[in-house]
Amino acid sequence: MKPIPVLARMRSLLVAVSAVVFLAGTAVAAAQTEAPAPAPAAVAVLPAPPAFQALDTQVQDLKQEVIDLNRDLFNLEEELLFPANTQVAVFLSLDVSAYFALDSVQLRVDDKQVANYLYTEREIEALNRGGVQRLFLGNLKVGQHEIVAFFTGKGPHDRDYRRGATLTFPKGVGAKYIELRVSDRQRQLQPEFVIREWE
Amino acid sequence: MRVLPLPRARGPVRWAAVVLGVVALSTALPDALAAGFDAQSLVLPTDPSALPAVQVLDLHYGDVLFEFYRDDPFDALIKLNAYRAQGHLTAHAEDAELLLGGLYLSLGQHLEAGRIFQQVLDQPRVPQSVRDRARFYLAKVWYQRGYHERAESIFAAMGSSLPPEMDAERRALLAQALLHQGKLEPAIALLSSWSAPSQWRGYAQFNLGVALVRAQRLEEGVTQLEAVGTLPTAGQETAALRDKANLALGYALLQTGQPARAQLALERVRLEGPLSTKALLGEGWALAALGQHEQALVPWLELQGRSLLDAAVQESYLAVPMAYAKLGADAQAVEQYEAALHAFAAERVRLDESIAALRKGQLMHTIVDHEGRDLEGWLWQIRKLPEVPESRYLVHLLASHEFQEALKNYRALLVMERNLAAWQTSLGAFDDLVAQRQRRFAEWLPAALAKLDGIQVDGLRQRQTVMRAALTRAEAERDGAALATASEHAVWEKLERMEATFTARPDDHDLLEARDKYRLLQGVMAWRLSSTMKARAAGISRDLNKTRGALEDTNSAWAHVAEAREQMPARLVDYRRRLDALQPRVAAARQQLLAMKAQQEQFLATLAVAELQLEQGRLATYEVQARFALAAIYDRATPRKQP
Repeated sequence: MKPIPVLARMRSLLVAVSAVVFLAGTAVAAAQTEAPAPAPAAVAVLPAPPAFQALDTQVQDLKQEVIDLNRDLFNLEEELLFPANTQVAVFLSLDVSAYFALDSVQLRVDDKQVANYLYTEREIEALNRGGVQRLFLGNLKVGQHEIVAFFTGKGPHDRDYRRGATLTFPKGVGAKYIELRVSDRQRQLQPEFVIREWE
Repeated sequence: MRVLPLPRARGPVRWAAVVLGVVALSTALPDALAAGFDAQSLVLPTDPSALPAVQVLDLHYGDVLFEFYRDDPFDALIKLNAYRAQGHLTAHAEDAELLLGGLYLSLGQHLEAGRIFQQVLDQPRVPQSVRDRARFYLAKVWYQRGYHERAESIFAAMGSSLPPEMDAERRALLAQALLHQGKLEPAIALLSSWSAPSQWRGYAQFNLGVALVRAQRLEEGVTQLEAVGTLPTAGQETAALRDKANLALGYALLQTGQPARAQLALERVRLEGPLSTKALLGEGWALAALGQHEQALVPWLELQGRSLLDAAVQESYLAVPMAYAKLGADAQAVEQYEAALHAFAAERVRLDESIAALRKGQLMHTIVDHEGRDLEGWLWQIRKLPEVPESRYLVHLLASHEFQEALKNYRALLVMERNLAAWQTSLGAFDDLVAQRQRRFAEWLPAALAKLDGIQVDGLRQRQTVMRAALTRAEAERDGAALATASEHAVWEKLERMEATFTARPDDHDLLEARDKYRLLQGVMAWRLSSTMKARAAGISRDLNKTRGALEDTNSAWAHVAEAREQMPARLVDYRRRLDALQPRVAAARQQLLAMKAQQEQFLATLAVAELQLEQGRLATYEVQARFALAAIYDRATPRKQP
């Protein structure tokens, strides 16, 4: 079925509301007949809006408290499990992609697999719109480390495509942020896979 | 270490993308569902001014966007708040604030969203167009939540920078907000002066007609409604609009005693459309009012084949016998009244059962069970009511904003309670973790201190400095011997001892041959040390550099351990303090959520029961009317005794 345009839906809503409002004030002309007068067409009598609004305000206050709680819990969890001095976060971004359709990413740090992620269509769309996925959050000691990422998907001409990228990086005392970036290399008509460090 | 800056997108582009993206997502679903369409066929609004994706300058901001774009506004909101507290979003401070407002909106937190938008959007540097759009969406949410006065004030005060399509919607919603508040004259003034774009013209005219009729300006209203009711049909949308206009027109004319005109309007309503039952009923009344009772039976009998849940069908159960009575067919009238009484009674029993079920609070449990996993999505909307008897009466209620919004609140409370229950489990694990770290730290500290005491980093560094100075001196003085190996040193010392012997016995001719050999050996040794000096110096220098690197690492590790020794106790205390503060907060919030959920459930049940009671009341009235009419027929049929 063809989706009905939103505009049409919105207009239908407005008219529906109008019709209800209208009919509420319109008695059936039954009184003009000699028959027993039937009741007018049904219009729901809802509790007065203030009742909903008062409850709604209380619900919003409570939801706000839960949102604040979640923020505090999220921060505590991160600090506890991934302290800043050992934290390493690996992000993935897409700046494409005419030449590559990402299916999955496998991530290895110091020859240990730490992430293996299969993307949904919605997640790919999120990445294409500018979202950046935090693919891995972990802890590493101070010193040199190696990260290897394998990207699997469809390359040019819809062929199966698997490529890797590597980076050796120093891990200091502070948190370390690394970006895996997939972009187009226009001249070669090929995708490009880059790993880079952020401060 | 390199930092690779990304190109900065133009300011307005980013602002607009954020605002439009968020609010579009947050408002589209409620609209569509309230309009009675299947949510699965929804598409998000394709805003012509929607702009390209945001270019992120901060990975963490990108992560928030990722959560948001994959339809998880709750996680996006939590991360945004958390990252902001961690100081990660400095490159996107303004965007983040707008995004925050949008996320609050999409989670139904319109009070907080309103506060944020007000704060951010009133800043002069925010482009007028973005400010207007953000306000537009905010006002739309107020409207949907039934805050018509607030919606009206924002819609009315908005600037003129909205795109034409959006501005048309703004005017339409403003008119609706006015009508909801009974402000008929301002609504009429607004709609009369509006030169609506073609796709909105029919709707504006319909609303104007409704407003005029309600303001007792019947003829003006009829003119507007007639214009809409006779629009050339061009597709489903126009046909539906025509039906609504003709229905409204027909009933308005019936009410004012113009049945002939009313019949013409009602005849234009499609027989297969959703308004057909009301139109058939009205047409029957119009014909009856004209004295054409036999003709009136045609639409009314057509209604009797339809579902008794429809109010118009229920009414036809009274109208048909009334027409028979008018035609003198009392026997048929009696038969029809009795059938009506039987049908009404059966329906009332079902209503009683449904009200009892609603009062027990079963509806919400059934809905939650029915939705199953779908309940988890944060943009959840109920699509279909579960198949229980009471659902049959609640279709109309489902389309109301109050019920939908209350249902969303109920569901949000439920999901949040589950969310906190999961956190409560995690908090227990965190508690153990902190306790374990405290124990391990207490055990580790004495051993670490002992090791630290054994490492004399300063002494090692001093030795490294002395060696570097010796190398520099040897290079400056070209002292090859200073760079000799241990075995070379031994040979050199042997040669020196031999030289001492030769010096002590200068005239001993027996040593002549030995002296020559000594000179040769000394020359070879001196040449070897001299010719390899550069290479040796380079090698030693390289080793010294390595030593320096190793010493720096050692120093850094030492400092790290020392820092841990100093800071860890305070950090562990801080973790403990935060855990101790969070645990009761989570427990209390869970209790409040459960209590509020019960209240919300009660509220929803009240709405549903009110809907069913309305139905019950109407049936009761119909029953009384049927009995009265039946008694009147029996009374008429009973031969009167002669006085």
